[in-house]
Amino acid sequence: MNANHEAPMPSGIPPEACERIGRIGEELAFVMPGEDDGLLPINHFLLDLEELRGGEVPGAWTRGLKVARGWIDEILDGSGKFTETSIRRLNEWHAYMSSVADSRPEGRGLPAWPLDWAGADDVSEVAPSVVPVATSGEENELTCSLNLEEDLELLGEFHAESLELLQTIEQGVLVLESNPTDAETIHSIFRAFHTFKGGAGFLRLDAPRNLAHELETVLDLVRRSERSIDSSIIDLILAGADALGQFTRAIGAQLQGMDPGSPIVVPTSDIIRRAKAAARGETGPLPPPPRDRSGNGVSPAPTLPPAEAIAVPVHQSAPFAPEAPSSSSVSAEPPVAPVRETLAGESSGGFVKLDTAKLDSLVDLVGELVVAQSMVVENPEVRAIESSQFVRQLRQLRRITSDLQSTAMSMRMVPVRGAFQKMTRLVRDLAASGGKKVQLLLEGEETELDRNIVEKLGDPLVHMIRNSVDHGIEPPDERIARGKSAKGTIRLSAAHQRGGIVIRLSDDGRGLDPARIRTKAIERGLIRGDAGMDESELVSLIFRPGFSTAEAVTDLSGRGVGMDVVRSNIEGLSGKIEVQSVPGEGSAFTILLPLTLAIIDGMLVGVGEDRYIIPTLSIRESFRPQAGMVSTIQGRGEVVSVRGRQTPLLRLGRFLGRPTRAASLEDAIIVVVESGEAARGLVVDELLGKQEVVIKSLGQTFRHQNLLAGSAVLGDGSVGLILDVDTLVKTPTFQHAAATADASNA
Amino acid sequence: MTTPSSNPNAAFAKSGRYLTFSLGAETYGLPVLNVREIIRLCPITPVPRMPDFIKGVINLRGTVIPVLDLRAKFQMPEAIYGDRACIIVVQLRNPAGGSTLIGAIVDTVEEVVQLNDPQLESAPDFGGAPETRFILGLATVSGGVKTLLDPEKVFLTEGLLSLAPPPSAEPKTTNA
Repeated sequence: MNANHEAPMPSGIPPEACERIGRIGEELAFVMPGEDDGLLPINHFLLDLEELRGGEVPGAWTRGLKVARGWIDEILDGSGKFTETSIRRLNEWHAYMSSVADSRPEGRGLPAWPLDWAGADDVSEVAPSVVPVATSGEENELTCSLNLEEDLELLGEFHAESLELLQTIEQGVLVLESNPTDAETIHSIFRAFHTFKGGAGFLRLDAPRNLAHELETVLDLVRRSERSIDSSIIDLILAGADALGQFTRAIGAQLQGMDPGSPIVVPTSDIIRRAKAAARGETGPLPPPPRDRSGNGVSPAPTLPPAEAIAVPVHQSAPFAPEAPSSSSVSAEPPVAPVRETLAGESSGGFVKLDTAKLDSLVDLVGELVVAQSMVVENPEVRAIESSQFVRQLRQLRRITSDLQSTAMSMRMVPVRGAFQKMTRLVRDLAASGGKKVQLLLEGEETELDRNIVEKLGDPLVHMIRNSVDHGIEPPDERIARGKSAKGTIRLSAAHQRGGIVIRLSDDGRGLDPARIRTKAIERGLIRGDAGMDESELVSLIFRPGFSTAEAVTDLSGRGVGMDVVRSNIEGLSGKIEVQSVPGEGSAFTILLPLTLAIIDGMLVGVGEDRYIIPTLSIRESFRPQAGMVSTIQGRGEVVSVRGRQTPLLRLGRFLGRPTRAASLEDAIIVVVESGEAARGLVVDELLGKQEVVIKSLGQTFRHQNLLAGSAVLGDGSVGLILDVDTLVKTPTFQHAAATADASNA
Repeated sequence: MTTPSSNPNAAFAKSGRYLTFSLGAETYGLPVLNVREIIRLCPITPVPRMPDFIKGVINLRGTVIPVLDLRAKFQMPEAIYGDRACIIVVQLRNPAGGSTLIGAIVDTVEEVVQLNDPQLESAPDFGGAPETRFILGLATVSGGVKTLLDPEKVFLTEGLLSLAPPPSAEPKTTNA
């Protein structure tokens, strides 16, 4: 093939591709010889690149992708770790690809193809020449053993993911049978094999990895229209999926404690051989004559539609064990049988993937059931029934509904582990790039939290950890000079507390410097020069918008997000964040979150005839004001003095435009709510009690208002409105307080 | 510029089945396909600071849905709703997918009628005074005229959505 300088194609390389190249560059900055960090992300970005096939791209680009694919596969195949050489080559590659991407618009010639890169010019050669599994077909079947202790978590994920992938493959095959050229489907099957390969490679499961690799190669050719789909290929895919399915199920069985640690053997050499033949463009050794699938239920392949319904006549692949031709593999085969037996029993346990919308509606309905149940129980006519048996039955009903509710709620709960463990990698990368030594200690990873919250917790945590490593932890020499150990420690913990969850992130770094914060805050115009503030108030200024203490913007921190964003994220989850800091000894962030977003602890307050719900988490205190506690400023703004601090009042009834009952302020109740820095005293008529309420969206009609955060069905079946505390606290009060001077002095 | 219809914006009324109901002395109709159910008038939780045609929200078996007052929406005089007053729950498809339920209070629900092309005509142009943008068309049935409403336009218009200005000028407070 003609190598070097073809004319650059106009606008062939899509901008997303350049972005991926950039991301690979970022990952490359952190890879270390002998480590596998970054391997999977790079692999994924590379896969993305391989899939971004916008217009025509320069041949050098395609070749570049191919050669990188070879290297990455080589690493995944082999040690799974980067080496000096592979890092150097990947870095060169990154530079080369960047320049290829750049050269395009100007129409300049392409950079020269580096000579020492293995020739990836010849398409048909790539797979065999780069990937060392080429000979495995002639060898004994590979066995692979799981490292259950170390990889338990990953294996579980891999198992679950693989089951999905296999399903994708099988469904895809069904489509291909009637429409063999459907590019979308071919692509999805390709991607499924590829993802499988990546996962297996990461877990050093060589046999399934190799198999997936071969199948992927075939699919890739199909994808590029270099090979067309025929019955032999469909057979091959199904056979491959079956074999991978056997691996997956065996892994699943071991994860459930059956025969842990025993090697898993699934014959793959024949399929690999066929795949190679197919990749070479041979029609391949014809698969063995059609045979009825012995109905032993091992195959995960779905029952195919009747043959006449299929455009490409296909016979289904037969089970492998009997047809595995390599006699040398026989010795390795006996373990197959036990694996199959365990498969039969796999129906116990396991997971179901569920649409979250269904889950939400289940939770909703159960909430309604609880309400309906209490309506029945509270009904006066029902209460008049005097029958001990009936009372027992009602109690039984109540117990079942409440069990049902907690089960339904628990279905939304996931451990914070996932979110926490991602931070380990982050800390390592940040520490390496910042020339610091940092260890991350995790505690309470098993603490469960609403899935939606865990998902949204990631960003704030990342940002706080960045801050901690970049600005909190000192460089090793500075730490030693201060009499600390060279290695800094960051602790990330989660625990249940007061019906919510507390997440704490603390470090033993230099802490926040109140004096510097003060200077900065004055500089930024956040506080006045003569503002009297104690240290904790000063420290809390870091949550103010427009505040950032970062003096040097590092490559990872300082991306324009400040702690104010962190705080608004947390508050978006109905949570709170606080900071404590001791200069020189470290700082600690405490995040208080509700267990779930679906239910809140609410305070039901009465205003006139209306009832409103205020989230308990935002209530600081509530009290009946004494005469003289409320004063008026400029005859307009009312403030209440709470423990020596003046808090502005907001008369809720007037603000909402609804009638109130309390004749004077002394008859009313003041509920002090806070959001961020601001607090405000809401004047309500009465407190009606605390209760847990299931939050209901108010829907499209009310989406443009910010007065209400939602609604809830109350015990009597009517709707209570949940006030948006943030709005109440931030709304200007002055205009509403006009003409109330007399009231406040009453 | 002139189109056969005097009201070029109106989605034309199609023959089909309509649920008819009354507001005062007038009769209106909504396409049956948009009517999810009819429920008895129940306590409505008022939503503060909303335009007055939004009566509030109700709990429809666990789903909280807004309820509109069509009289207020059409700027008709307010009336006390009697025993026969109902809430018609209308289901509207969202452009973004999914659907929205909205209730409308009416004086009485009459019947479901089949209306065919000869009975239907487009909304007349009043020159602006009575608004015709909510109207699909008019139907003449046994001597009476029924106004057929366009559910999308009646229930999903811009007007519903924004917060009313703070009621600062509100004179009364019981506690002053």
